[in-house]
Amino acid sequence: MAHVHLEDGAFTIEWVALWTLIAAALIAVALYRLGGYSIPTRKLAIAAMCVAVGFAIFQIEIPIFGGVHINLTPLIGILVGPSLGSLAVLVINMFGAAIGHGGWGMIGANSIVNIAEVFLGYLIYRHLRTSWNASRFFSAFSATAVALTVSAVLALVIISISGIQGSTQGEEETFANLLIMAAANIATGLVEAVVTGYIVSFIGKVRPDLLETAEGQRKIEPTDSHQEAEPVV
Amino acid sequence: MTFYAENGKSVVHRMNPWTKGALLAIVILMAVITEDLVLLAALYVATLFFYAAGRLPVRLLAGWYALPVFFVFTIAVLFIFTEPGDPLASVELLGKRISITDSGLLLIVTLLVRALSVVTFSLSLFMTTRYSHMAHLVSKTLPRPLANVFLLSYRFNFETSDEISDVVDAVHSRNGNMVRGATKQTRMFAGIFGLSFVHAFERAERIAKAMESRGFAGEFPRVEDLPRPSYSGYALVSLAVVALVIVTYSRYISDLIGWW
Repeated sequence: MAHVHLEDGAFTIEWVALWTLIAAALIAVALYRLGGYSIPTRKLAIAAMCVAVGFAIFQIEIPIFGGVHINLTPLIGILVGPSLGSLAVLVINMFGAAIGHGGWGMIGANSIVNIAEVFLGYLIYRHLRTSWNASRFFSAFSATAVALTVSAVLALVIISISGIQGSTQGEEETFANLLIMAAANIATGLVEAVVTGYIVSFIGKVRPDLLETAEGQRKIEPTDSHQEAEPVV
Repeated sequence: MTFYAENGKSVVHRMNPWTKGALLAIVILMAVITEDLVLLAALYVATLFFYAAGRLPVRLLAGWYALPVFFVFTIAVLFIFTEPGDPLASVELLGKRISITDSGLLLIVTLLVRALSVVTFSLSLFMTTRYSHMAHLVSKTLPRPLANVFLLSYRFNFETSDEISDVVDAVHSRNGNMVRGATKQTRMFAGIFGLSFVHAFERAERIAKAMESRGFAGEFPRVEDLPRPSYSGYALVSLAVVALVIVTYSRYISDLIGWW
């Protein structure tokens, strides 16, 4: 898996409450940026479909390196932006909790990690495409690789400072215990980065308009005034 | 899941969804707060009993357990060796002797029981509650935009999963499952996933237009209202709350249940 989800009971109630409050604040900011209760219907439908596809894709195993599962959260960020993407990953975590892919009480902590992936995926892709004019594959690959590496470290930090409930080990020992998990996540994240690179290249060929959120609308420069005036049929 | 939810006729299916929702919240809190493994095991047995009372297939439950067990092991596996305690068994690895400790084993078993208790009850709730009732619950408990995304995606989760599975089956039936190098496999699956996203966006645009043309004003109409829980439902939730209060009091104030 490109990232690990925490199950119920891993943290004490105090930490569950803290991470839930932080995630709620992040979601509140996302809702505010989207216009509160008046989110356009199209955006609602797109977020819902991203949830459905994201949820379906994580159940499919890619038969390389012994089998890899991916979540495509940075891709969701690239496609729909950080605000709508944050709502989408929160709902994906709710569905995940229903079937044991992460706990109900851990939706806060898991969402913080996923929101970081969505946010970084969008931001880095946008920067590489608009400022550096990098290719779609390279931009998506880099954005996903960085986002998943940062999120693996973030998950490690969250688990280390919260501590595993029932364990007598301190922050540093917990951190050391989980380093292998983080390294494995980062390695799997590189596979997801390659997949995301190919997906974005594919979408760029068949529906480039779907990437407008992160790339911005490309202006078509007219060659002369005559062509500009003539309508294209 | 929806098949069992829509077609089941057990006592759990007939139970008021508010009662089941409240019990899920209590089970989550109990799993997080309870420290005693015996009590956690009792909680797990109770959730299994609830699942069985819903006449839901045990084979399916075993399949659903794969993910939580995997996640618990991923996070806690090293603690089996590093948690201070009496060594139970040891092996030599790269010239260094590592031991499984009793405390480490206890930790991982406790985490597993906690996770599986919640998963079992959560699945029982989702597999015994009809969509219309779920829609009512969600629209009453979540902020409206989130409830809308949840309900829209709930309907399309299963359809999308089937659609992607069909594409993967089609690839397999054409020998697409044969390993032809990481690059080729990655490219092929990226095509499948990319196509899924393109289809999803096109479907979302159609759905949005259909919703607007039918006068969607930001809130889904509820086709079925939920009645209040019955007296026995209130009694069941009250009992569970009392158990939760005792467990919480014992953990944070004074031990009431450590007598065994």
